[in-house]
Amino acid sequence: MKTRLPDHGPVEAPRFWRTLEERVETPEARQAAHDEFLPGAVPAYDDVHGLPPQSGVSRRDFLGLVSAAAALAATVGCDRKGQGTVVPYTKRPVEVTPGVANYYASAFQEGRRVYPVLVKTREGRPIHLTGNDEHPGVRGKTSPRAMADVLRLYDPDRLRAPKAEGRTLGWTEAEARLHGALQAAKAAGKPVLLLSGAVVSPTRKALLADLKAALPTLEHLAYEPAAGDAAEEAARASYGQSVAIQPRLAKAKVILSLGADFLNGEDPETLAAWGAQRRLKSAKEPINRLWVLEGPLTLTGTNADHRYPVAPSRLAALAFTLARELAAKGLPLPAGANLSALPGGAPADVPTQAWASLVKDLQHAGRNAVVLCGAQMPAAAHQAAHLLNAMLGSEAVALSPAEPLATTRDLEAAVQGMAAGRYAAAIFWDVNPAFTYARAAAWKEAVAKVPLRTWIGLMEDETAAQCQLVLPENHWLESWGDYATPGATVLQQPTVGTLYDTRQGEDVLLGLLKALGSAPAADYHTYLRARWEKAVLQGGTFEQALHDGLVKVEAKTAALAFRGASVASAERAAKGAEGFELVLFPGFAPHDGRHANNSWLQETPDPISKMTWDNPVAVSVQDAQALGIQEGDFVTLTLEGTTLRLPAVIQPGQAKGVLALALGYGRTTGGVAKGVGANAYPLLGLDPATANVRPGARLAKAGGRKELSRTQSHHRMEGRDIVRSLTMDEFLHHPQGHHHQPELVTLYEEQKFPDHKWGMVIDLAACVGCSACVVACQSENNVPVVGPEQVAKGREMHWIRIDRYYEGELENPKVVHQPMLCQHCDSAPCENVCPVNATNHSPDGLNQMAYNRCVGTRYCANNCPYKVRRFNFLEYTAYKTEPETLAYNPEVTVRPRGVMEKCSFCVQRINDVKIRAKGEGRSILDGEVTTACMAGCPSDAIVFGDLKDPKSRIAQLVTATRAYKVLEEVGAKPAITYLADLKNPVEGGHHAN
Amino acid sequence: MADADRKPLLDRAAALLAGPFLLGRQALSLAFLSDRETPSEEPALALQRIPVTPPEHAIKRRG
Amino acid sequence: MRTDASVHAVPIPEGLLEPALTVGKVTPGSLDDQVLAFPETKPPKQWYLALAVTLTALGIGLACIGYTFTTGIGAWGNSSPVFWAFDIINFVFWVGIGHAGTLISAILFLFRKRWRNAIARFAEAMTIFAVMCAVIFPLIHVGRPWLAYWLFPYPNERALWTNFRSPLLWDVFAVNTYFSVSLMFWYLGLIPDIASMRDRTTSKLRKTIYTVLALGWRGAASHWQHYEKAYLLLAGLATGLVLSVHSVVSFDFATSVVPGWHMTIFPPYFVAGAIFAGFSMVVIVLVVVRETMQLKNLITMRHLDVMNKVILAMSCIMGYSYMMEGFTAWYSMNEYLHHGFMNIITGTYGWAGWITISCNIFIPQLLWFKKCRSSYFWMILVAIGVTIGMWFERFVIIVISLHQDYLPSAWRIYKPTMVDFGILLGTFGLFFTLVLIFARVLPVIATTEVKAILPDAQPSHGGSHE
Repeated sequence: MKTRLPDHGPVEAPRFWRTLEERVETPEARQAAHDEFLPGAVPAYDDVHGLPPQSGVSRRDFLGLVSAAAALAATVGCDRKGQGTVVPYTKRPVEVTPGVANYYASAFQEGRRVYPVLVKTREGRPIHLTGNDEHPGVRGKTSPRAMADVLRLYDPDRLRAPKAEGRTLGWTEAEARLHGALQAAKAAGKPVLLLSGAVVSPTRKALLADLKAALPTLEHLAYEPAAGDAAEEAARASYGQSVAIQPRLAKAKVILSLGADFLNGEDPETLAAWGAQRRLKSAKEPINRLWVLEGPLTLTGTNADHRYPVAPSRLAALAFTLARELAAKGLPLPAGANLSALPGGAPADVPTQAWASLVKDLQHAGRNAVVLCGAQMPAAAHQAAHLLNAMLGSEAVALSPAEPLATTRDLEAAVQGMAAGRYAAAIFWDVNPAFTYARAAAWKEAVAKVPLRTWIGLMEDETAAQCQLVLPENHWLESWGDYATPGATVLQQPTVGTLYDTRQGEDVLLGLLKALGSAPAADYHTYLRARWEKAVLQGGTFEQALHDGLVKVEAKTAALAFRGASVASAERAAKGAEGFELVLFPGFAPHDGRHANNSWLQETPDPISKMTWDNPVAVSVQDAQALGIQEGDFVTLTLEGTTLRLPAVIQPGQAKGVLALALGYGRTTGGVAKGVGANAYPLLGLDPATANVRPGARLAKAGGRKELSRTQSHHRMEGRDIVRSLTMDEFLHHPQGHHHQPELVTLYEEQKFPDHKWGMVIDLAACVGCSACVVACQSENNVPVVGPEQVAKGREMHWIRIDRYYEGELENPKVVHQPMLCQHCDSAPCENVCPVNATNHSPDGLNQMAYNRCVGTRYCANNCPYKVRRFNFLEYTAYKTEPETLAYNPEVTVRPRGVMEKCSFCVQRINDVKIRAKGEGRSILDGEVTTACMAGCPSDAIVFGDLKDPKSRIAQLVTATRAYKVLEEVGAKPAITYLADLKNPVEGGHHAN
Repeated sequence: MADADRKPLLDRAAALLAGPFLLGRQALSLAFLSDRETPSEEPALALQRIPVTPPEHAIKRRG
Repeated sequence: MRTDASVHAVPIPEGLLEPALTVGKVTPGSLDDQVLAFPETKPPKQWYLALAVTLTALGIGLACIGYTFTTGIGAWGNSSPVFWAFDIINFVFWVGIGHAGTLISAILFLFRKRWRNAIARFAEAMTIFAVMCAVIFPLIHVGRPWLAYWLFPYPNERALWTNFRSPLLWDVFAVNTYFSVSLMFWYLGLIPDIASMRDRTTSKLRKTIYTVLALGWRGAASHWQHYEKAYLLLAGLATGLVLSVHSVVSFDFATSVVPGWHMTIFPPYFVAGAIFAGFSMVVIVLVVVRETMQLKNLITMRHLDVMNKVILAMSCIMGYSYMMEGFTAWYSMNEYLHHGFMNIITGTYGWAGWITISCNIFIPQLLWFKKCRSSYFWMILVAIGVTIGMWFERFVIIVISLHQDYLPSAWRIYKPTMVDFGILLGTFGLFFTLVLIFARVLPVIATTEVKAILPDAQPSHGGSHE
């Protein structure tokens, strides 16, 4: 404390002094004596004593600052356990800007189908796929499985280094073994078996030719277990060669499907054409008509205008009868078609009147009609379809020559060869015959007789377990390649460097070539580029092709002459034994089994049965009744000595006497795939013509019951106005139907939206229910996977789901699909009940969720009439480590347990565009913001946009006559408008012309 | 001077109490590194991190 | 009231006279000896046995809560669309149980129902214990219980505030107010008795504890004057709460859009249900207390008879409410509401609906008979029935309404897990543990209040009637 000095100066010289200045009393010394403390050591003002200010900082302030500094220092030092550290790049990779996404064009192959894609990468990690918008066919769309395949890149089960007899080894050693064996085989002239997937790539084809030249004893088989042997068999019979059949629905007015599931999401081009034909503004616009004859209920069947359940073995006979009737009406019957053996009269499977309408419809549509046959249907049905298309002169289907695929007959020959010790070595590249081949035991025995078995693939599978040499392959997102598609040659380029010590299969083959004495190129990239520069690029640069992902080519129309079909084949198909007719089809999620380890796909509900994580056998309503089977009951399915015990589901609309079972389940390897469902491959037939349609199956109750991991357990609409479906007649005369919605009044002030009001329109007429949106959303929004037990409890986390309702008679119901997601209600019931304001409304009409604020009372979910809110009942994310975490979209928060989540209208995409537009000083353009579901929807059923912009597409769509809102009477004012579904049945003799 | 000019008492008290407390805690945690000693496995984990590298020769569409 | 009669010296007709509220010769002294000396006696073996049982139940409950904390709400059967189930059922159930105590101690006090004096203390204690059981649920049912304090509007540097439009927030205030007022009311009533015990006890420990708890009560006239005023005021406050708390709890449902919840009848219906369930629980406990603690002379069959009459009246109100629910479903022509109501009587959970209706409406009709009202067997049967029935009523309201609401695609069956049952068991364990301890350490009967209704307390009454 400072003592106040007397105001007057010293009266006499000081008695004691410290310095000479003080003694002589200079003014400075006097001042210094007055200022007891040095400047800064005393307060600026002494507010306690009211003293004059003397220095800059008070003691109080000083102490305050000290403690603040200490507190800050301590806070900075605080570290929560488990918190990661963020370290900037020490060496920033070229072309990677943190926070900015890069997009690469690439391509993905599944069987014969090629998906040109655009890959979004963040910080070097591929995280999201869409179709390549430059491609004339897919136009920016792709399939659910293609989108989900980005997850496979980060599958923890991926093999990370070569292995031999279970021991990890280097590539040099592994290659030495392979090369040695093959050099020896070449020297000895012993055959080498190479089993790979379908060859759609021209450069791969060239490479295989080079290899064949260097190793003349190479026997190559392209094996696609899901492609349908019957289709291959029939194509060879009808056209004398393998053919790829691509529907051109844009030109089709009448479509007849013989068990063809062309709307199942696999074919974005067809879905786009379908959507374009169904998104009607008025009833005067032309619409196509879809007739479906099928055994099991398919997604295509649910979208049919007329559908009749028919056993697949009957399809050929029906189609041939159709051909005869059309011939009778004057359509030319090609030479070589012999229909004389057919029984007379209209078939009993289809009501007479409907049959007559179908015949008339096809006849009137002529070349605008098309008959499509399901890949798994008997070969005779395919041939009948080929015949019908030839008779109609259909322009709505494009045939192109394709590389042949091995059928069961070829594989059986290979098995015999292996068993006889014919082969010196075998290479299995991206195939899993140990799992997919029907006679697995015989296969195992035969393959053991091959001296060197080499496997090249992504994840060790059943076949890898039978091989000595196991070589890890790149994921396609790490690889080079190219594909021939109608209209463009597509390039596949790596979008990320290899994550592990892997190589792409082509590079392994190139290494082999080198060892065998011919070395066309150092690596596959060089090989591919050289070939492209020589054969594909016409004037353009390779860089430009990589940028675009493709080089456009003229779509060649192949002159494929129809050689004729015989009714005898139909006879063979129809010759049924007693018991059920079993239809084996590739599963929606696993396809032929290759995607079985993909948890996104496993948890995406089957579009029809809404099953996840399982392949129950589907039983028709009539048969279930007769056998007393309830849903989820365990049954035994027996066919030719093979018995499976699996749960049953009752499938409305499935033909009586038909059982349907998905292939690709029941894998015995893979952290996700293992033990999911039952393996149906042993039930496949060995006759390629009828491999997937097997008569003589027996079904019996096995006792016990399984809790089905199904996302929808109630299938009727209970007469509620949820999905509106109009026939064309209704659309013309009363598009609003008989629904009268009284004007809703509210006591509250309407919410104001100053700048934007985001909204969505979903056209149910265009939506086929393919679930591409579900996968797109899962990938974009880091939606967690919960597993079969949790799905069975109703805890799946999808932000968008497809509701599927059956209406009418169970034997052949009308089916409707409805994508259901957060409706972003203006007067949202969820918002006012949240006690902590964790969910609230944004000024641009988004119902937003603040995860950090959410306590988890779940009241919002109870009060949501649409039940689209998802609660993290358990910890679904925290246990994840690399590489799984690499698949996350960094722009979307990963939600912990106890937190509610739901569709955000992809707010991160909205903000991205907003920021970009602001930076460029312009307003947001219509269509610039796309949600993941919209971008992923192949039939363009989803339109997102700003309702405040009167010129926007969405603003026009919401005024459509088909527009309505779901549960409008609740008064929540949803921001999503649905457009009523349209069906185009034959009414009052109104036929397509 | 007027009492009104003083900073709120509670703020000061909080700073006075929290500062030494946090500083002390920090000091203690520096002195006894038990809490931070655990990550014996952490460097190993860092080594295990999967390298994400840009693709070679690829040309991006945009970004 | 009685002084008026004596002033006018007109003999009151026999029929209008309130019958004696005690049996046998009860004097203030004997009352003190009976009630206040009880906590000083050594508990019998049966008490320890009962405590062991209740503590086991409590332990199971705590273990289940611990499991829930470590795994998440997924440990329970809750799922989509049944996001609330046992958690909120139990919460509403226990809040309801509490209502009898407040009604008895506050409303009946204001109405000068003198028979309440003997049972008020116990009923109030049960209120507090029941509310303690109830508040567990809002805390543990949230997804992130470590953040449950965010439901309180406290100032914070993030400038976050609670949503006052949410009925859950109203709940927070309603239940907190209810608990604190009930606790104060109960404790206030205990003060004179604790002071008496302080003066009677010879144990040093007890004396110290009672001295602290008695807050320096010396029984001075000024003390009594303040005491009576405070008691009256708190009774007034608590009266409002009897009606408000369960009304607010019912708002959780009534203000929502869920068909089956969105009903204007809910507030009165919930209050009546709460009193109904509460009285039944009081009957069950009182019968046991009366028998095991030798209090037959103070808690008489007349008390039980009156309580049973209240139960019967409430049962009729419940019956009316159920019928009104059905009527509303029919008359509103609202298909969702109609479907919801049909679910109660014919749906998957129809059995729960019929348990509710049988236990709450049909079985209590037995109480029309005097014989049933005065028979332990029948009254316990009814009371247990009502307790079960009222629990199922909340099951019906919450689970049945939620499991099938608007979009059939989202409908799903709810199945509870063992953890759900474990926690329910745990709250019963907590409740009865507290009841058992209370019965041994504090005077279970408000001696000061009973003294006021002893025959000798009013000379005119005692003289003419004894």
